[in-house]
Amino acid sequence: MSLLRHFRKLSVEHTRRTLAGSASSNTRQYDKDPQPLFTDAETQRLLQNMTQLQLDKVFRKRTVSDNSTETKFMTTAQLEKEFLQTIVKANKLLQMPPVVKVKEDAQDALITKDAALKDFADTKYVFTDITFGLRNSERKVVVRDVDGSLSYASLDTRKRMNQLYFPLDGRRSYTPRMFSKPELLQRCLEEHKYEFVLDRLTVQYEPYELEFHQISARVFEHLMESKQFDLLRSTRHFGPMAFFYAWHRCIDDLLYDMIRQDYLHNAVELIALSYKIHQIPVDYKQTLGQLDALQPTPGQRALAELRNCLKKPQEQHIQDDIQAAIGKTEQDFAADEISLKFIEEYIGGEHALKKVQLELAVQTLKELNLEKLQLYQGLKKAHGVQASSS
Amino acid sequence: MLPLARAFYSSVARISRNNRVALHTASTLRCKEATVVDNEAPAENSEESGSDASPPDGKDRTKVIPVETSMRYLKSAAYRTTYGEEFVWTQYRRNHKGMYAPRKTRKTCVRQGKISTGNPCPICRDEYLVLDYRNTDLLKQFISPYSGQVLSYSKTGLCQKSHLRLKVAVEQARDCGLLTYDVPFREYDYSEYYGKQEEPIQLKS
Repeated sequence: MSLLRHFRKLSVEHTRRTLAGSASSNTRQYDKDPQPLFTDAETQRLLQNMTQLQLDKVFRKRTVSDNSTETKFMTTAQLEKEFLQTIVKANKLLQMPPVVKVKEDAQDALITKDAALKDFADTKYVFTDITFGLRNSERKVVVRDVDGSLSYASLDTRKRMNQLYFPLDGRRSYTPRMFSKPELLQRCLEEHKYEFVLDRLTVQYEPYELEFHQISARVFEHLMESKQFDLLRSTRHFGPMAFFYAWHRCIDDLLYDMIRQDYLHNAVELIALSYKIHQIPVDYKQTLGQLDALQPTPGQRALAELRNCLKKPQEQHIQDDIQAAIGKTEQDFAADEISLKFIEEYIGGEHALKKVQLELAVQTLKELNLEKLQLYQGLKKAHGVQASSS
Repeated sequence: MLPLARAFYSSVARISRNNRVALHTASTLRCKEATVVDNEAPAENSEESGSDASPPDGKDRTKVIPVETSMRYLKSAAYRTTYGEEFVWTQYRRNHKGMYAPRKTRKTCVRQGKISTGNPCPICRDEYLVLDYRNTDLLKQFISPYSGQVLSYSKTGLCQKSHLRLKVAVEQARDCGLLTYDVPFREYDYSEYYGKQEEPIQLKS
């Protein structure tokens, strides 16, 4: 058994090196520290809006050992309170993994060199401060080497020690074969298990590790080819993905998908994000401001959806019925017009790469929207709803 | 007269023995499977026609069935006629005396390369069901859709040896990413990554 484990360790080490060697050459990496741009309040807001909030997806039934549900009787006021808490909880579940640069081992790790302790023992000693309440990043870990020198532990050792004394749920002490063997990872990607791979990645690696960057970049690049963006929508990984595309100037596939799915608001946000990252002198703030005034945030939208199920059928106004049938409100039509103008400007500009495809998508959407608008107005007229009643 | 009668008796006994093997075991399937499973079925046929004296022993488990064969078997028509749309363990019932079954299932169904019991467990009774981490179609049948855990042997009736093999295979398959599961949620403390001077980002509802 121990022999087997030894072999596995050897092979892991080997593959890790090959993976690191091969992946760095062909996957896209952040060339400078992306953290300040990512943590910027405006970027965060854009990314959160793009992620959307589909409660069904966030609170899907998980196959974990304790997935019991509680049934309660509540008054409407209590229910209202519970709705608000639900949105907060959902936002917590959508917390994005940090995007930071790769951290290197410290150069001046050596503390002292005690020649007197040379050959005291024939193995290294690792000392870990396991004081309660310390953060994993603050914990002191030092190594006494065989030649008597005392130095700070490398990041790898630190991680192993932290995992040893304060295990993180779901993290393995060895590299899962899924990550160490490129062909297994490739197989996962081909089966479109993107969310699973990324979830596991967040648990297994720290965001500042090289493997984290390489594997996530590989997943995002594969996603760009397969165009299954819907699998990540309304998960915590959508924000970093959009940020990755915007950073590496390859937003066109995602943009195309957004236009096809009629998420024009998100498309505008994506373009704005790309402008912001590359400091392209286009005024996007005005358009964004207009859109924000017209359309609710994902949180508000989800809340409205929750409140909707409280309504009794007889309370339903005919206007709501029409809106539900069409799927759009008057404000949505107004917002679409503004966003379409902004998107067309982007497509006309020099930054779009797949112009023909995007133009076609926009054209199709425009026709569809026009039909919807006509239908909406016709229905309103037929039911005798005044424009002012909304 | 007597040798003639004896020969007749022995042939009848052989036929009845062949028929007595329960309908759902693999040995009856073997002839059906000849069209699907190609690599060993022809060999068996030739063997049977060559030496008529030794009929294939349905209880013999010394032959190693490769996983690829098992994976093909799970997709074959022979499998569907045997189990239908149900799991391999749903139709299995344990034999026990009294009202209550013993808490644990038997230690093993196979001893010295042979089925040593009249009611082998769902995995051991069908020799084409091979527990391996690549055989995900089979492993999925033993995982609870609610908790994501491996189902207990008290529910599936697997013998202890098969159950252990099943647990190992499931763990390996998860390690390789062949079986997906719900990864525990990891909450990030942003200040650990972004430095302490910045306040954590407020999530707006």
